[in-house]
Amino acid sequence: MLNRFSNWLDARTGWRNIWEGIFLRKVPKVNWLYTLGSASLFIVVNQVVTGILLTIYYVPNPDHAYDSVQYITTQVALGWLIRGLHHWGASAMVVLVFLHMLRVIFLGSYKFPREVTWFSGVVLFLVTIGFGFTGYLLPWDEKAYWATTVGTQIAGTPPVIGDVALRILRGGEDLTAMTLVRFFGMHVWVLPAILLSLVGLHVYLVIKHGISTTPKRGEIKHE
Amino acid sequence: MNDKEQQEYLQEYKKEKEKGVPFFPDILFKDALVSLLVFIVLVALAYFLGAPLEEKANPANTSYTPRPEWYFLFLFQLLKYFPGELEFLGVIVLPMVALLLLFILPLLDRSPKRHFLDRLLFTIPTTAIIAGIVVLTYLSVREAPPPAETNEGDPIASLYANNCSACHGASIEVKSGVNLHNIIAQGNHDGMPAWSADLTSDQIDALAGFITSPGGSQLFNQNCSSCHSVEALVEGSPMDLKQALENGAAFKPHAGVQTVDWNTSLTLENRTSLLNFLVAPDGQRLFDANCLTCHGNSVAYSGTEEELRQVISQGGKHLDMPGWKEQLTSEQLDLLSRFVVDPEAESQSQTLFQQQCGSCHGQNIPQADSIEGARQIIESGGPHRTMPVWGDVLTTEQLDALVSYTRQSTDGNSVAVGQGLFSQYCATCHGGLGEGGPNPTKPGDVIAPISSAEYLKTRDDITLRLIISQGQPNFGMSPFGTSNGGPLQDEDIDVIVKFIRSWEARPPVELPPEVSVAVVNEKPAQLYISVCAQCHGLAGEGGVGPSFQSIDFQGLQTDQQIYNSINSGHGSTAMIGWGDILSADQITQLVKLIRSFQLTATGPGSVPSFSKDVLPIFNARCGACHGTLGGWDASDYASSMETGDNAPVILSRDPGGSLLVQKLLGIQTIGGSMPPGKLLTQKEIDLIVAWVKAGAPDN
Repeated sequence: MLNRFSNWLDARTGWRNIWEGIFLRKVPKVNWLYTLGSASLFIVVNQVVTGILLTIYYVPNPDHAYDSVQYITTQVALGWLIRGLHHWGASAMVVLVFLHMLRVIFLGSYKFPREVTWFSGVVLFLVTIGFGFTGYLLPWDEKAYWATTVGTQIAGTPPVIGDVALRILRGGEDLTAMTLVRFFGMHVWVLPAILLSLVGLHVYLVIKHGISTTPKRGEIKHE
Repeated sequence: MNDKEQQEYLQEYKKEKEKGVPFFPDILFKDALVSLLVFIVLVALAYFLGAPLEEKANPANTSYTPRPEWYFLFLFQLLKYFPGELEFLGVIVLPMVALLLLFILPLLDRSPKRHFLDRLLFTIPTTAIIAGIVVLTYLSVREAPPPAETNEGDPIASLYANNCSACHGASIEVKSGVNLHNIIAQGNHDGMPAWSADLTSDQIDALAGFITSPGGSQLFNQNCSSCHSVEALVEGSPMDLKQALENGAAFKPHAGVQTVDWNTSLTLENRTSLLNFLVAPDGQRLFDANCLTCHGNSVAYSGTEEELRQVISQGGKHLDMPGWKEQLTSEQLDLLSRFVVDPEAESQSQTLFQQQCGSCHGQNIPQADSIEGARQIIESGGPHRTMPVWGDVLTTEQLDALVSYTRQSTDGNSVAVGQGLFSQYCATCHGGLGEGGPNPTKPGDVIAPISSAEYLKTRDDITLRLIISQGQPNFGMSPFGTSNGGPLQDEDIDVIVKFIRSWEARPPVELPPEVSVAVVNEKPAQLYISVCAQCHGLAGEGGVGPSFQSIDFQGLQTDQQIYNSINSGHGSTAMIGWGDILSADQITQLVKLIRSFQLTATGPGSVPSFSKDVLPIFNARCGACHGTLGGWDASDYASSMETGDNAPVILSRDPGGSLLVQKLLGIQTIGGSMPPGKLLTQKEIDLIVAWVKAGAPDN
């Protein structure tokens, strides 16, 4: 019965090819350090899911942002867990992505033929930082407000373009409702779009080239 | 990596792959296990620590200590090492370069080698950078500890921790001469807010002290805090603090309190840093505490910074105290001597002290050891040390601050100087507030206000300077610049312009005043007062213009010449031509009036006496330099006539050719005019000229 159903589905979707191509493919034996990438991917899923749940209650407006976050934490069923996972997931993501990057650097995995995988990875790292920076403001508590004030000031330091950059970032001279909406937009629309497309590219490339092997000491043999 | 090496790698990889394991379940199992572990950790963190949420954001709360998310801390720490202009380098350029290098890593490292020990060129710098990030993060966490935990019991330190440490870290290096109080109160470079709204002035002072001498805070807590609060001591006078520290138990306010001798219990270094902490090197406060009594709100000091520092640090003997023996009764001298020795026992003499001594000594009662000694000093007067040797009292930082403040305030005070000059030279016609009024030189004309916003906006400084310097003869304004024959130096004009500019912020006059048109002055005496007296004096005694009383003027000028002078003026001087303004009849009457001044003047033939008239002037104004030190010696008749590098300086019957007269008039082009500083009055010059003209007799 199950077999008949899977045949029926395969004739219409070709899922067996995909299953065999992705899951049953053989890969070199590697150590535990090679799980950091997939762990990062897991965190991305975690952030997407909890993030979507948070937007159900969150209001990106200085008058209500703080209250809505408080409401999520104290009133919503399991709200504390959702926010907690999102909050700590953000830190964990930075850690895991960074460690993943170090693994790639120290084991030379960015070399031929995986250069493009590396490029997309670096951009993903930046996107992660961007998530952290924009997300920090959203609870609109003292910490959020002042840390972002100081953080955005840095954008204002370069000569000539500094003022314009600061204005674009804040949506005006000061940190206001404009800034909050701007950061919210970045955090839930722009950055996720970039993140998910790049994750797609990144994972596709990893599957295509296969996971890199643990390099051995010494010269490459010339035959 | 060339093509061959690339092919080799791919073949090698293919072999590895064949020896390998299927992704599902082997690899995926490991991945899932790690992910699950991560998830468990996250749930645990969410459960046990929760997601923090502080107070709602309050944009008005400048006392909040902003801290970025922990993974930005290293950048935040890095920022502290790139002060001021360099900030941009540290926070933008450096990270950008690092990111770029990171991005193009595969293009830089192209060898086929992959093991990290085979690629030390890349793995070592990476390790170094990671180590740097870890260290910076650690430093940042350590340097700016949460204030409540670490600084309990030290209010100023927690003031610092609450307000400054977030951006400045544990300590701030302050350049000498910086007015820290102002910077804290008003904010400084980008991003530093003004704290004056949140902190009291004393708190700011205490903070400034803490910043320049953080060790002092600790010393204060150990030695003083059980009785004193920092803010209260900071208010006080540095002299008192110094004395309290030096005299230990002998310090009067400490009498009855059990105190140790700070001199022995604290090292000199510790005393200095304690003093620095309490008397922050804040020029304004130091000036208020130390100099205000004698010098008022500011000192007009024009010398160099170095000279000023010397004057302050070494004290001065520049003020002579007069001998009081002749001027006070013996009783009064006794009272004063006793008062000086013990002010409290002799409080009834305080009024006397304030009357006689207060103008120089202010509230500071000079200290004397014995009544006899005090009396001797009061009787004889003399160049005793009037200005304290501040070098003994103040620390280097404090001296720096005081010097730079004094210089700044001198500069800032020029508006007041300008106001003085304005009321002296300009207010006659323009009014004290520049409101204008009837034109004294042109009957029926009204001088428009020069202090209206409209006027000030449409004239730049250069225009104003030119108007003052060159005058506006068509409107009856004579030139005031020395280059045009007037009395004002360029610097004087500059400060007047500055004063005029000071109206711009709040113009005292918006519209021309409604003035009744001045009546034409028919009577020559009134005409003289409104037209000529400004420069020539009410009784023709002279001033900016020559004296009409002088023999020189009256003897040499014919009526026609005087008439011509009034009618057409003298192009090169401040004397404008009045022909367009006054009628011929009026000028003739003026000439008559001017002639009448001769009668009141020293009659012709009465020759000034050298010993009675001239020598006293020499003694008073020249003798200080032209004594027996060489050069021209003005101490008696013979030497006056014969000595000098360019002797003779006095040519009998030829005032114009006499170097002395040239110098006095300032018409001698080599070298400056004499006496330096303030010239002799017109009357004194006239007297000397008359004496020379009469043959420079020794009478």
